[in-house]
Amino acid sequence: MAVDMDLEAVLRAPAIDMPPYPAKMITLANGKKMVVRQAAINDVPTLLKAVKPTIEIDRDYYDIVGARLYAELLGWYKHRVRNEYCLVGQVDGYLVGIVNGRMVDHDIGMSYHTLAIDRGLRVGSHLFASKMEYHIEYLKQKEVWIVAESPIGFRRWMIEYGLIKQDGVQHELGGAGSYKLTEKLYFDSKPRLVTGTRPVPDKELRIAMAEIKVADETAIREKICGVKGR
Amino acid sequence: MMSDLKITAYQCKQCGRIHYPLHERCIDCLATKFEEVHPEGDAKLLTFTEIYNLPWGFDVRTLKIGVVEFANKVRAMGQIHVDDFSKLKTGMKLKAYWEPVRNTDEGEVFGLVLKE
Amino acid sequence: MREVAIIGVGMIPFGRRDEDTLLDMLAEASMRALKDAGMEKKGVDAVYVANMGAGILQHQTSVASALVDRLSLMPAAADAVENGPASGASAIKNGVLAIASGYYDFVLVAGGEKMREVVGWKATDFVSTMTHPEVEYPYGVTLPGMAGMFTRLYMEKYGLTRDQLMDVAIKNQKMGALNPYAHVEMLITKEGIAESPDAVVNNPMAADPLHLYDMCPVSDGAAAVVLCPLELAQKATEKPPVVVAGFGQATDTHTLQERDDPTDLKAVTLAAEQAFTMAKMEPKDIDLAELHDAFTILEIAESEHAGFFKKGKGGIAVAKGETSLGGKLPINMSGGLKARGHPVGATGVAQVVDVVFQLRHELGDNRQVKNAKTGFTLNFGGFGNNVVAFVLRRAE
Repeated sequence: MAVDMDLEAVLRAPAIDMPPYPAKMITLANGKKMVVRQAAINDVPTLLKAVKPTIEIDRDYYDIVGARLYAELLGWYKHRVRNEYCLVGQVDGYLVGIVNGRMVDHDIGMSYHTLAIDRGLRVGSHLFASKMEYHIEYLKQKEVWIVAESPIGFRRWMIEYGLIKQDGVQHELGGAGSYKLTEKLYFDSKPRLVTGTRPVPDKELRIAMAEIKVADETAIREKICGVKGR
Repeated sequence: MMSDLKITAYQCKQCGRIHYPLHERCIDCLATKFEEVHPEGDAKLLTFTEIYNLPWGFDVRTLKIGVVEFANKVRAMGQIHVDDFSKLKTGMKLKAYWEPVRNTDEGEVFGLVLKE
Repeated sequence: MREVAIIGVGMIPFGRRDEDTLLDMLAEASMRALKDAGMEKKGVDAVYVANMGAGILQHQTSVASALVDRLSLMPAAADAVENGPASGASAIKNGVLAIASGYYDFVLVAGGEKMREVVGWKATDFVSTMTHPEVEYPYGVTLPGMAGMFTRLYMEKYGLTRDQLMDVAIKNQKMGALNPYAHVEMLITKEGIAESPDAVVNNPMAADPLHLYDMCPVSDGAAAVVLCPLELAQKATEKPPVVVAGFGQATDTHTLQERDDPTDLKAVTLAAEQAFTMAKMEPKDIDLAELHDAFTILEIAESEHAGFFKKGKGGIAVAKGETSLGGKLPINMSGGLKARGHPVGATGVAQVVDVVFQLRHELGDNRQVKNAKTGFTLNFGGFGNNVVAFVLRRAE
């Protein structure tokens, strides 16, 4: 579809400067290496293929997370969201998790979603930590606003990080009151929650950057729900 | 004060073994007559842990729990309220208090709290 | 007393079974066991059902009566058996006694639990109800917490190392990955859970000094066995019967603090001794064992207290591979509670089912202990205050 750039100038969100996220590598419990890197806007169609099957998975709130993430990624792709970013986790090139968020302004970050495709390996924990690292250490923001849709998320973030409850302050996603991660909380938690090594060795980086491989729908469903439906 | 500790242990009148909690009969000699005793002296830390996956009903991130033995051989479990877990060592002496250990719908529950 | 044989076993894959009710799981495992025994269209004299938490988690009681109805086994006698995590073995013990006494001939024993019905904090609280209601539970102590305190003492007394605990975890997850019934089918590496800087997230502290991978998962599942007198077993089924050669059960103080030496698992030692005495065997006669590794420390401690290794040497045995497949005494070739999973009421029954698979030589080379003839199971209730052990042998 042809895009009228004059209209786009009106409809697009004005961006602010956003330094890139430097890739890192994380060793998972099974010994495999996960590369965490920033996705490019052109990666969105590939990412949507991975997210789409999750929209119909009722288990653990994957449907609402998947549906919202799908919309957010599409919104980013169509330049309708200001300063959105997306980080992905890849093992041997295969997508194992996605996180996203955006910069509201120079000081405040808005955490959107965390979707783990490979479960049981703390992929979600590592990727959530990566996006907090991005907001605080690379985007140099003072705080990040967070909500959880699932009990798992609540446990991993609100409790683990000791997030500060913001009574009466709504997150962009609506829902229950928002929580915030401050610089202090981040650096206090960092030793036990934020890991990864940089730079990523050439071989692993090359594989990750060459292509975001996405498992087929059946495989994604099995990874999330378990092979035996458990 | 030690006398504030609402811990009643039971010393067998026949063989002297101390019991806490209550038993109807002595564990060692099966006698049924006991004298009530209360914790006395220092609380020596026998073992301890910090629990990260808590049961429903606690608002904190972790709980430090230990088992202590008082100078008069009464043993009891309690919560350890210290900031730095790495300072805890088996055999160290702690001070014992009777303070809230959890909140329930019926209100605060008091129990043994151990501090440096 | 008559000798008792196991002529049918059944199990369903353990894990998270959102679509199944507790009764669904118990019924499916029972039907598998009845079919395995050639009794799909026959009745039994009695049913024992092992379950710890239905009253709390499912708001359901009288599960044995419910199962009898579901399986149309009326008018069989039926009892529910609750002995915490040792419910399964207790239920089998009751079934064995009922047949050995001569009173019943065919008995179904099923064990099941649906722990994932509630959120994790509530499942943890449910398990914590095993602790002493006045002097332990109010403090928020959990079973992992008890294990953490026990591990600290064990390490101080015997020099047990974290590496040895991880060897148990790695071994059992490796075996679980080969077991189609296992909840956790994931290999782990020492690099991933300890050596790499990322291990602090992968394998966080759970109950100091125990970490996440020292713990078994919270599982749903069910298992069942069919028992009959040995003299009827050969007529009942073509499969080689497995004889309950011996059993034992012993208790200890409810609280850890009242044990003279909290590292001394007296109930394990006594239960094992009783089972060996009844079977006229010794630990050295056992070809394989399924021990209760709800926490990695327990596999090591139980292997010592049951008499397989000297005190303080169990960890060294794991490190040397003596408890792996092909080793001197393979332990938890099912993956154990660590990987097979621990639906509390099902576990003791599942342990027996797994030994029966071994003694019948039904498993693939990657899990089968060669020429297995004898097996041992240990089901650990509370924190070692009620323990049930079995010695099983392949009938010749």
